Order: sequence, then C-alpha cells, then structure tokens
Amino acid sequence: MNDQADLWAPMPHPTGFSATFWDHADKGELALPKCEACDALHYPPRRFCPECGGDALTWTAMSGRATVVSHSTVLTSFHGQDWVGQLPYVVVLVDLDEGPRMLSRLVGSDTIARGDRVHVTFAEVQGRRLPYFTPEGAA
Amino acid sequence: MSGRDAIVLAGIGETRVGKLPGLSSVELQAEAVIRAVKDAGLALHDVDGLLNLGPYVQPSSMFATTLAEYLGVKPTYCATIDVGGTVTGMTMIQNAIWAIESGQCEVAVCTFGENALTGRAVGVQGLKMDNLLGGEEWEEPFGVQGMVIPYALLAQAWRDEHGTGDADFGAVATVTRAHALLNDNAQMTKTMTQEDYLASRMIATPLRLFDCSLVSDGAGAVVLMRADRARKLGARQVAVRAVAQKTTHNSAAALPDIADLGMAEAGARAFEAAGMGPEDMDMLALHDAFTISVLITLEALGFARPGEAGALARSGDLSLGGRWPLNTHGGLLSQAHIGGMLHIVEAVRQLSGDAGKRQVEGARRALVSGNGGVFSVCGAMILEAA
Ligand SMILES: [Zn+2]
Repeated sequence: MNDQADLWAPMPHPTGFSATFWDHADKGELALPKCEACDALHYPPRRFCPECGGDALTWTAMSGRATVVSHSTVLTSFHGQDWVGQLPYVVVLVDLDEGPRMLSRLVGSDTIARGDRVHVTFAEVQGRRLPYFTPEGAA
Repeated sequence: MSGRDAIVLAGIGETRVGKLPGLSSVELQAEAVIRAVKDAGLALHDVDGLLNLGPYVQPSSMFATTLAEYLGVKPTYCATIDVGGTVTGMTMIQNAIWAIESGQCEVAVCTFGENALTGRAVGVQGLKMDNLLGGEEWEEPFGVQGMVIPYALLAQAWRDEHGTGDADFGAVATVTRAHALLNDNAQMTKTMTQEDYLASRMIATPLRLFDCSLVSDGAGAVVLMRADRARKLGARQVAVRAVAQKTTHNSAAALPDIADLGMAEAGARAFEAAGMGPEDMDMLALHDAFTISVLITLEALGFARPGEAGALARSGDLSLGGRWPLNTHGGLLSQAHIGGMLHIVEAVRQLSGDAGKRQVEGARRALVSGNGGVFSVCGAMILEAA
C-alpha cells in the first residue's frame, strides 16, 4: 500500500469538454454530465448524451458513494519504471449510487471484495487531485 | 449460399511465429499472402482483392495499400479493417465475400501479422504499445494501461459470480498447451501441468503469467474465391456459413457486467443464420487472449452453463479426441498471438483434413470466436467443409 504522498499516475489529457470533470476533481467534487433532455447521467464524460444524443448537459455533483463490482491487485508495471514504485496497487470497478460505473483506483486499504461499500477520495497525484476510492469506514 | 456461386476459403498461409528479428510487419504480411495464394494454386497477379489490418505495435495508416505496393499487386478492392482480435479476421472475410459477390473482385486475400515481439519502440517496458486504444484518459490516471488489468477485472467478477477458482483457469491453459506441443510452429514447447500453472507468477490478480497470451512476431492469411474456381484449381473449399458481430463498448472504463457482453448475441445470431447449434460443431477456435476469454466465450455461446466452462475444460471435452477440441494449434496462449488470424487458418486447415498429428477426426464444422478490446466487440463465425 502506498502513502498518498507517493502516488503516481499518468496525468489525463482532457478535451475542452472533459477538462471540466478533472477541474471539479481538483476542487474535491465528483461531477458527471447529466442530460437536460432525458435526465441520464453518464461516465466517462462525453459531449453528447449516450442515451439520446442530447448536447445540453449539466455537470452534476455525485454523492461519491459506490459499490465494488470487481477489483484487481496489480503486481506488474504496465507503464515502465514510473509505475514500479506503485506496486502493488488495487484497481476497482465501482457502481456509483447514482448509477454510472467508474473504473478507479483504491487507496487507504489493500483488501477489497465485490459488494464492499466505498466512497470517493481525492488523492494528490503530481499536483492534481484524482477521484480514487476508499472503503467505507477508512479515513 | 450454396451451389456453384458459393464463396469459399480456398487457401491458407502462415509464417513462422515467435521472435523474428529483422522482419517488418509488411514483410511478414507479404510472406503470409504469398504462401496463401500459392496454397490456393494461384499466382500473385490473380489477386484483385486485398484486406488487412495494420500492425498494432506501430501506428500506421493505409496499410492495405502499403501491402499492395510491397507485393506488387493492383487490387480493385483494397481495405484495412480494425475491430479487434479475431473479429477483424472474420470481418475481413465477410467483407471479402461481399466484395466478390458484388463483382468488386474475384480473388480476395485477408491478412494480419506484425512484429509485436521485436518491433516495440525502444525503451518500452511491459506490454505498452505505441498505438492508442481510445480510453487512456479514463484508464491511465487510475493505474490502468493495456489489456491485462481489464481482463483481470472480468476474471475476478466471473470467479465472484460463480464461486470458481484457479483450477478452471489452469484447465484452459493446460489444454491449450498440450495442443501447442503437437504444432511445430508454436512458441511454447514445454509441457504445462496444473502445478506449473499455479507456480507461474501473478501479474494482476487473479491472472497469472500463464493466463496471458504470448507476444509474437508472425502473420497469417486466407484466400477467398468462388467455389467453382476453387474446385477447378483443386484447392481447399471451406464455406463460411455465418458471421455475426456485436459491439457493446470500447474501453475498460465502460466495462459491462459479464451477462451484458456481446458474445451471447453474436453467437446466437451466427447459429441461427447457419441453422446450427453448439451440438453441431466439431471443433472450436476461440479467441484466447486470456484464459478468462475462453471461459466466458464457452458459456456465452452455449457450450457450457454459466460457471461450468472450467469443468468442461477439465472433463477432456476440449482436448483432442474430446467432443469440442479447443484451439488445436495452441491458440494465442501457447502457439502465438497473431490477432487470431491463425485461429482462422487452423480452422480451415482442420476442415480440409490437413492438420497432421493434431487432426480432429472427421472435422466438418468449426466455430471461430473473437473479441476485440475487453469483449468490446464480439464475433462468431461458423465454417463448414464444402
Ligand atoms: Zn439524454
């Protein structure tokens, strides 16, 4: 398990639209686009609603609470030497309480199981804050 | 399609596989094409249709015309197709059939190959490739790169849903390895036991090294033409009874539940179009980028009930001599990873009765499956000896 100070990951290269997602994360908010036409929330963020094609989207704050769908403890770097120092780390697939599914990283614990409850935490990574998840009850 | 106008797979080509330093991707594809054309009893100047996929290991564009020029052929139908592992191969075949049917060309060659093992950019470690997969923004900041972690998430979900474990994964790995030992053109040449499987190092839980396919240099190709021409040439004649495809997503960040992956729909549509079912198949060529790929595919296509694919592998039914021999060439896991082109080549070889010591006795029908990305695009193709 890594101390939060040691976290490393490649930074996102957002589009003009998706930059808003990362900017919200920097402010400690998990916000997803919500379609004004059909009310659908979606992730990963796209300029057009994947339910109806609508382009009137409102960035909407999520509760940050979620349930684990799957997980993997990564023991091999897939990003050269940069990721070696992160090993082992845990990747999680979670369903937000509001519906959308997110792929993210687990911090604050080495162990997790399907069905476990988690909540978002904004980890400092190379000067940005990224929406990672941590088990309910953890700091 | 039947009768004299039917279009058949009439030639196959396969290069050596493994570590082939000094050979470029276009050179490998050219070699596979030349072998396939010769196998069909034709010459290169007979080729007027050329379909391929460029190398994943090096970003490329217009790779079909690159290959045409390299070979010195001037096709009237030329296209690059990219929908992922083995689905690319069957989609090339489907497009070749349409091109021949509509009069765009008469002899179409479909090929893929690359120098994925020796052609990686200098300094690249692990499995990172130069090409973008499209989901990087929503994967890399979370520690996800490439294909192993997405498949590990699927594998963990499958285990949690069914209470299955290591023995199921090891069964797929060992069955496939046993078949590779009967193939002189395979990267893996040593026996693998269940103990060897369990001793292989963990890459990303629950996937071990022996759950993962190989990285390979090499190429494969197939030739299609009308059946009457193939008959006159004395060439192979394997008919394509059905091809079906389903796309549900692309990146791991949009990974659905296993029950919502597209393989079941693709398989059902292929079986319906062919008027056949799993019980009619004599052999299986299933895309096996990872052991979990095979387990999920067997269940989605109806060869095993949910959670029971591992038991099917352990029963011997997927081994040579069993009911549905699986990946008799050794597959991506133990022969080589050539994007699934060699699954198609092997199926045609088997249905031509030409597979030597690994021949499936009396094989007339084969199910070929593929999936690109992380079961993002799923495909099923049914082949039958004509
Ligand atoms: Zn909408």
